[in-house]
Amino acid sequence: MQLAETASERVLADEVRAFLSRARLRSEDLPRELDDRMVALRSWQAACYEAGFVGRAWPSEFGGGGRPPAEQIIVDQELAAAGAPEFVNVVGLDVLGPSLLRFGTDDQRRRYIPPILRAEEIWCQGFSEPEAGSDLASLRTLAVQDGDTYVINGQKTWVSWGQYATFCGLLARTDDSVPRHRGISMLLVDMSSPGVEVRPMTQITGHAEFSELFLDDVAVPRANLLGQLGDGWKIAMHTLGHERGTAALPRQVKLRTWLDRAVSVAAHRELDGRRVLEDPEAQTALARALIGVEVLRHHAYRTVGEFLSGGAVGPESSSVKLLMAEAEQRLAATVLDVLGPTLLSGAPDETAENDFWYETYLYSRAASVYGGARQIQRDIIADRILSLPKE
Amino acid sequence: MDLELSDEQVWIEESLGTLLDREWPPAQDAWQAGAPERTRLWESLVEFGLLSGAGSDLGAIELCLAARAVGAHLASVPLLGGVGVRYALAPFAAELPAAFGAILESDSRVSIALLEPGGSWSVSSTHATVESNRLTGSKAAVEHAADVDYLAVVTLADGEPGLALVRTGTKGLELAPQPVLDESVPLSRATFVEAEAEALVDRELAETIIERLIAVGGLLAAAEAVGAGAGIFERARRYASERRQFGRTIGSNQALRHLMADLHVRQASGWSTTLFAAATLDDRMSGARETVSVAKAYVSRAAREVAHGSMQVFGGIAFTEEHPAHRFLRRIIAREQQFGDAVHHERELGRSLARAATRERVAV
Repeated sequence: MQLAETASERVLADEVRAFLSRARLRSEDLPRELDDRMVALRSWQAACYEAGFVGRAWPSEFGGGGRPPAEQIIVDQELAAAGAPEFVNVVGLDVLGPSLLRFGTDDQRRRYIPPILRAEEIWCQGFSEPEAGSDLASLRTLAVQDGDTYVINGQKTWVSWGQYATFCGLLARTDDSVPRHRGISMLLVDMSSPGVEVRPMTQITGHAEFSELFLDDVAVPRANLLGQLGDGWKIAMHTLGHERGTAALPRQVKLRTWLDRAVSVAAHRELDGRRVLEDPEAQTALARALIGVEVLRHHAYRTVGEFLSGGAVGPESSSVKLLMAEAEQRLAATVLDVLGPTLLSGAPDETAENDFWYETYLYSRAASVYGGARQIQRDIIADRILSLPKE
Repeated sequence: MDLELSDEQVWIEESLGTLLDREWPPAQDAWQAGAPERTRLWESLVEFGLLSGAGSDLGAIELCLAARAVGAHLASVPLLGGVGVRYALAPFAAELPAAFGAILESDSRVSIALLEPGGSWSVSSTHATVESNRLTGSKAAVEHAADVDYLAVVTLADGEPGLALVRTGTKGLELAPQPVLDESVPLSRATFVEAEAEALVDRELAETIIERLIAVGGLLAAAEAVGAGAGIFERARRYASERRQFGRTIGSNQALRHLMADLHVRQASGWSTTLFAAATLDDRMSGARETVSVAKAYVSRAAREVAHGSMQVFGGIAFTEEHPAHRFLRRIIAREQQFGDAVHHERELGRSLARAATRERVAV
């Protein structure tokens, strides 16, 4: 175990910082309007890709950097620390890309991977359905084979970035004569196909980052099956484990920048003639939030060790997911507690800062739901780590 | 950046487990172990090489592996002082006064005397002083004081911390046993009246060593608590897989499955943060002190939560004296108290956040 950066890691971190000082783009500098924001975000990811900071650990034959996974982690952490926006093709990079690399044919990888990296084609995932949330395996969207195509009918929900996506990684039932987990397949659906309808949904934050997806006799070529027929569940679980484990690393850096920002705000604001941060209770509350973020980092580092050396992300990624939700929600709620009445009584020029914390707080409520609810993570741990009997 | 235990560290972990299985009674009987068992275990640990001082490649990670094994077995040895003092001194071997250097070369048993009657774990609340190699003052909660050869005593004069070594049995030193929650970790009050002491006089060096000593002491206490947490949690997990009520195994109830999943998260992440903090100490990284506070604060709460949750799984049986649950709980609380509990470290961290922010504001 060795925490100090190696010389080559330090060089890479410096390289990222130098890039960031040239091409400075912070989340808050992005256009407010979503369509304009998407344009800016796409070109940001493309610029980062050209600099070698996207898909750094993906195979070079498909446009990746072919470097060790630890390097991508260093890059992601540097970007997050600088407050750079997240890559807009997050679903492609964190979910579908890894699945394509692991389960796709060479033709599929050559076709889909490079545009994912350059954000030329945005991906979304069609997993949840109105009647299949936590119980994902009960999904009802049907894909029926008809010659060289599958014909899909059904409805998906919580489709992040669905309205901007070129492709969707979609779970559909291809066989209802076998146990339900085994009758599911993963299909790569062109979102411009006839019969695809996307309806954006507005979130509690006021943004519309996800959509409902309606599929009415959508024809998908057989060549767009990912993996084997009936592999859908296996692919989805692989993908979600990957997402839970590795997404925590850049996320914890972002949480740390938020914590530092909260401390700084508390150091500047006054309440009854005293700096908010001078209150020992505020200090301790912020310290507890800091502990949550730090422990998330420590645990994520230890549990992705296996992944860094080339293995798969195991069920311990569910622990990371639980800690991530806990840290984010505690931090966001703590800031509301610490800033307290200053959120209402402060000067008008503090409105933008208050809005940031309100939005962070509202968004944090999703952290224990998306990617598998807290209760699902607990079930995974109970089954796969603790080997407790099932009901 | 390499975050996995090395093969050698894994070997140390396994060997220590085997050694404790062999040399120490099973955890449920450990409370009956007396001085002979404690001495035998200590000698085995010395023979294993746990004390190798100057030039040793045993870092805080390896020492935490040992402390965790000690906690899981509810073993009783003056580990915190014995290995903690050596770890704190070792990097400065060349600059140390003779008596301190001699500790590194010997098998002597040492305890740390920091806390004072009526005081907190902050060095600033120390009153003990050394003048012309004579120590005067009082200390509380000195572990295994009756079994050790030396006390490493933290002193303070004119706001400058110092470290003094006092031989147990020296004239002017009186030890009085203290009531304890965990009888397997005996504590004493120590009163020094002009007791002969060897003092570390270089103030900068003393400050560095004391900071390192308190950090490693807190970490070893945390590692032991993680071990004790693992001991009680594994027993609860097995019990939940066997015990039947309402015609079903209790561990199949979602209420208990989810409770235990949460306890697992606390256990696993408590160990992660302990190891991470140990690595920051070993690599002498900046911010190591804060990272140790994070680990000690977190594990203090986490291990307690694990003990409470596990006892809930056991139900009434864990409230009986014969059941080992309370032995683990007692050890966990004892380790939580040593070198600062959660509240202490949370306050320290909070103050440190405030100090950093104030500096930043002044700089702007």
